[in-house]
Amino acid sequence: MIDPQLLAFFVLAVASVASALGVIIFRNAVHSALSLILTLLFLALFYLQLGAMFIAVVQILIYAGAIMVLFLFVVTMLASEARDTELPDRIPWQRGIASTLGFILVGVLSYLLFTGASIDTGAKASGANSLSHVVATQGDTQAFGLALFHGFAFPFEVTSLLIVVAILGAMVLGRRG
Amino acid sequence: MTNLTLWVLLMPLLGFIILGLLGRMMSRRGILVVALGASGLAFLFTAISFFSMLGTTPASARFSDQVFYTWINSGVTVGIAPLTISFGLLFDPLSAIMLMVVTGVGFLIHIYSVGYMEDDPGFWRFFCYMNFFIFAMTLLVSADNFLFLLIGWGLVGLASFLLIGFWYQRRAPVAAAQKALVINIIGDFGLMIAIFLIFKHYGALNYFTNGNGNIGVFNQVTAGGIPTISTTIICLLLFLACSAKSAQLPLYMWLPDAMEGPTPVSALIHAATMVTAGVYLVARANPLFQVSPTALIVVAIICGITALFAASIAVFQLDIKRVLAYSTISQLGYMFMGEGAHNYSGGIFLLVEHAFFKALLFLAAGAVIHSLGGEQDMREMGGLRYRLKITFWTFLIGALAISGIPPLAGFWSKDDILSSLLANATSGGGSVFYLLWGIGVFTAGLTSFYMFRLFFGIFAGGYRGAGSTEHAHEEEEEDLRHGHQPRSDDEIYESPAVMTVPMIILAVLSFIGGFIGSFALFGDSSWHPLATFLNPVFTNPNWTNVPVQAPVETLSVEWLSTGLSVGLALIGILGAWTLYRNGFFYKENKNPLYQLAFHKFYVDEFFILVLIRPVLWIGRMANRLLERDLLDSGSREVGTVFVGASGLLRRLQTGYVRNYALAILIGVLLIIVYYAVRG
Amino acid sequence: MSIPVSWYLIVSAIIFTVGVTGVLIRRNPLIIFMSIELMLNAVNLSFIAFSHYLNSVDGQMFVFLVLTVAAAEVVVGLAIIVSIFRTRRDIDVDDMNVLRG
Repeated sequence: MIDPQLLAFFVLAVASVASALGVIIFRNAVHSALSLILTLLFLALFYLQLGAMFIAVVQILIYAGAIMVLFLFVVTMLASEARDTELPDRIPWQRGIASTLGFILVGVLSYLLFTGASIDTGAKASGANSLSHVVATQGDTQAFGLALFHGFAFPFEVTSLLIVVAILGAMVLGRRG
Repeated sequence: MTNLTLWVLLMPLLGFIILGLLGRMMSRRGILVVALGASGLAFLFTAISFFSMLGTTPASARFSDQVFYTWINSGVTVGIAPLTISFGLLFDPLSAIMLMVVTGVGFLIHIYSVGYMEDDPGFWRFFCYMNFFIFAMTLLVSADNFLFLLIGWGLVGLASFLLIGFWYQRRAPVAAAQKALVINIIGDFGLMIAIFLIFKHYGALNYFTNGNGNIGVFNQVTAGGIPTISTTIICLLLFLACSAKSAQLPLYMWLPDAMEGPTPVSALIHAATMVTAGVYLVARANPLFQVSPTALIVVAIICGITALFAASIAVFQLDIKRVLAYSTISQLGYMFMGEGAHNYSGGIFLLVEHAFFKALLFLAAGAVIHSLGGEQDMREMGGLRYRLKITFWTFLIGALAISGIPPLAGFWSKDDILSSLLANATSGGGSVFYLLWGIGVFTAGLTSFYMFRLFFGIFAGGYRGAGSTEHAHEEEEEDLRHGHQPRSDDEIYESPAVMTVPMIILAVLSFIGGFIGSFALFGDSSWHPLATFLNPVFTNPNWTNVPVQAPVETLSVEWLSTGLSVGLALIGILGAWTLYRNGFFYKENKNPLYQLAFHKFYVDEFFILVLIRPVLWIGRMANRLLERDLLDSGSREVGTVFVGASGLLRRLQTGYVRNYALAILIGVLLIIVYYAVRG
Repeated sequence: MSIPVSWYLIVSAIIFTVGVTGVLIRRNPLIIFMSIELMLNAVNLSFIAFSHYLNSVDGQMFVFLVLTVAAAEVVVGLAIIVSIFRTRRDIDVDDMNVLRG
């Protein structure tokens, strides 16, 4: 019997790649957005498989839930029924070159990954601070929370500042006239 | 012994500086005071020094070498001795004679120029340049080392250039000045190389051992001291310089053209003084020439041929100044022939006498030109005997002197040289001296012929100038080209006293000047004041193994030579009298030999074809190929390349964001591929 | 059998490349933006994979922060896109070629 982990991995891998391709292939922007949501979903399932429970849920809530909704608002506001522009492509050669380079990029990265240095398993943390230990003793979310508010408190605060700036920016830029 | 040579040098220099800076604003009287004062004082100081020298009794004491400034005193040995160059002035009999001639004749010509140049707007400039010339010539003859000789040599070339091209607004004087300068530079080059070689072999540049302790060049010269080939080369290079400066073959072409300058310039520079610098140099360097007899014979032969050549051209010339110019070349040939026959004092003797009568002839010709309002063509003259009386008599004296008629000056000097040539021939100097003597005698005949042709052409017959009925050729344009207005017969007046007095003085000198020569001809072999005076220069107790100077002449030989030359001179005068006694009538002669001589043997045309045109062609080609095609268009091409390159690069900036993103991807890929390849 | 980390990384690489290609090929600015989001998510996947395999929580932290920044970025980016393309009918990012050399 095939290992369920393996099966899950393959299914998720194919699905996420397919929906990612869907994002760039669909003519209709709404279809692309929906495809992206699907991709995010599958990625969240990946995270679950990798033991990042909190992040998986956050991904669905925030990314798929909030960000993509925002996207869809704008998509439907701008050229809602339009297809991806009727005008002819002014640089038709870009398509060919970009595709080729894409394949090359994938190829090179795969090559690097397959023949590259193996992960230094000695870097695997162990002991009292390792993730598995904390998860085992205190639970997933607690592990995440402890790390967030102890070690990463400063970035957390900075992030809030960033959000404030983003909001202001959006308000200013979004004004008419 | 009073040696005021430094003052002699400084006076004209001060005059030059003052006139050069302020002359434009000075009044005529001021200019005259400065110019005449400078040259007059120069002559005065020279005379004082000269007479003081005469009063110094032991002849060996007549030698004063003052060093004023040690310029270079390096401890570095170059050749055989450390390089030491100092500025000093030598005052010995030879330089004393030269200084007297230069400053004396110079002063007389300054006075003459007051009258000749009175209408010229460049009056101050003329006297400025003349003073500069006197300074330069004085430096040349009184320097005590070869380096300052060279400096003086170059400066007189410059003075000649400035004065020939004095009327620079016209093309002909400018071209003549350039020609003179270019040809003189060839001579300067020869002199420079000779100086280098002298330094290399003798380790010093000063003539005699001076207070600095450098052993002089002439103190070191002994026969066989250094290889003869070296001294011969040095002497030949020195002669190259002399032939350029003294207008001998093959560098004589500039002197006839130099007649484009004002007549006082022709008189002073191109008759009396500058062209004699070559004769002076050979006399000064006589130890070097004495130890290389080959060079001396070469000098004699070349200058003998020059004398004949120039005389043959002079017979056919129509411009009175050209006749005198070729006559000068011919007489200079004589001087060098005399020096070539080991008779250095004879050459100097002729130099002095020639200064007198040639300057006189030029001044008289200038007076004629001045009276006729600028006319120089012999065909336009004639019958001026009664209008220009003083000019007539002085010119006659000059013509007789140059023809060698006793007892005028030319007779003694020419005879001295001719008899020493014959003496060399008979006492084993080589049979080439017979040939040279023959050339000399024949040229004497030619000299008297062309000189009296000129004399009769100017003064005899009827006036053929403007307003008379004898006009035979195209006059108007030619006259205007020469820049003068033709005068009719009743407009001609004698020159003012300021011009005639110097002529009279020179005429007197031409008359009595010969008496400083040798009276051996007339049995009184103890009377040769000039030779005695100059003797210490041409012999020296320090020299051993240097051949004896002039061979002794026997009386019969002397009478033979003298008789022949005087005879031929009289025949020449007779010939001219027969042909031209009623005036000069120009007939165009189609005879090719005549045409050849008339056109000065086409030497100038030859050089234009062979030398000038190719050089100009090279210049044009260089301009076209190098300057225009290579440099100009090359630099333009660089610009074009840059514009092209930037045009190509500009196409990268498409303005599309997606293209820029593609560029980023390409960069990223390159980095990743690099790491993949690196492993 | 445990899945080697390189497999996750390859999936991440593929999704990333898809995102890159989308940025270069599509002309609709919104889809370009979505492709950028794809790229960010691919990288998130890598982080989580490493967090799991190195047994450290830092990977998840990074993902959290990336998420936040992505949100902020989307907000501002969409505001810009809206303000540029507000009144057009057909939106094409190639219209912005004023910097053409």
